[in-house]
Amino acid sequence: MLYDLRHADARIKWLVTCLLATFGLSYVFGALMVSLYAGFTPQGVAATYRGREMSMPMPPETTMVLEHPMSVAEFAKPEIHTVDTNLLIQDTHVHVPMYGMIAAALSLVVVGLSLERRWAFGLITVLFAAPWLDFAGMWLTKFASPRFAIVTLAGGWAMGAGYLVVAALAVRQMWFSARGVDR
Amino acid sequence: MTLPIRVAAIAAALHITPVVVLVKRPEAAQALLPGADAYFAREVHLSTPDAHRLHKAVDWSPEDGVLTFYVGRTGSATVGALEFVRVDTPHGPIEVAVGFTPQGTVRGVLVTKATVEMKPWVLEAVGAGLTNHYRQLKPGDSPNGAAAIAGQAGDLAEYIAGEVDKGVARALAAYGAFYRGSA
Repeated sequence: MLYDLRHADARIKWLVTCLLATFGLSYVFGALMVSLYAGFTPQGVAATYRGREMSMPMPPETTMVLEHPMSVAEFAKPEIHTVDTNLLIQDTHVHVPMYGMIAAALSLVVVGLSLERRWAFGLITVLFAAPWLDFAGMWLTKFASPRFAIVTLAGGWAMGAGYLVVAALAVRQMWFSARGVDR
Repeated sequence: MTLPIRVAAIAAALHITPVVVLVKRPEAAQALLPGADAYFAREVHLSTPDAHRLHKAVDWSPEDGVLTFYVGRTGSATVGALEFVRVDTPHGPIEVAVGFTPQGTVRGVLVTKATVEMKPWVLEAVGAGLTNHYRQLKPGDSPNGAAAIAGQAGDLAEYIAGEVDKGVARALAAYGAFYRGSA
């Protein structure tokens, strides 16, 4: 195969390295942003996409008023950042194509690596499936069950793991080793 | 470039930036319910027809069908009521705090949250006197802060003022229809 990053021009290797470094930086800040809002627990993700558990699961027949005293300090209680349906539609619309571009870019790196075909197929599948799982989990958490929060977490971790594997293999093969398997 | 094209271009180029707190909720409560020494959260659980009526009036439904009015009192005297209203924009959410006097007119408005992207627009709009234009409004009035600051602030500040107008209109509609004096 002509496209082989092990034997590519140094400029191509540098381009791929810079691309991976840029993705790595954005993933680090992506993880920080997740920790600020939804968090990394199924409970946190469920609260974000499911919203607060209502004291009245169905609208009452007539409008009802409940009043309780509170202290001024309670205004400062940490709020659960929630994502309603409109915002989830918007997030899905904006993020899914972007994640597709990232998965495509990383997949192009995978294709240039010296890997057995089945590993390459597997990695490419993980790179694309991870964001699908991420967003499928959000929608299922919102409309099916909070238990699907685990799907979003699995998708998020798979995105991070997929990136790390591709980055580690690419850097190793491009800069530290010319050996690999024949494809 | 006209404003709609500029807004569309920015929306297409960027994804939603994180939310930042511009005014902490306890500070907003103390500013908009001055002198209150006791606070009460009044949750109005809307029936389906009432929720529909509110949605028809201002194209908005509160989260989980629950309107929350925060009531401030000094002794037995009511100082006023306060609502926090979220407005989802193509650039992410903003939160507007609207305080009412016991007579039912707007005492003040604060923009308490915006995204990193929108923060400078909000600050510019507020600096141009946006929130002054909401004082004394009463249910049935139409907030028109965006038009009031036209020519005194940039296009994006004027745009965000329009979103704040929506938040104030929602608060006025909710207060007018569902807030019933001292409980």
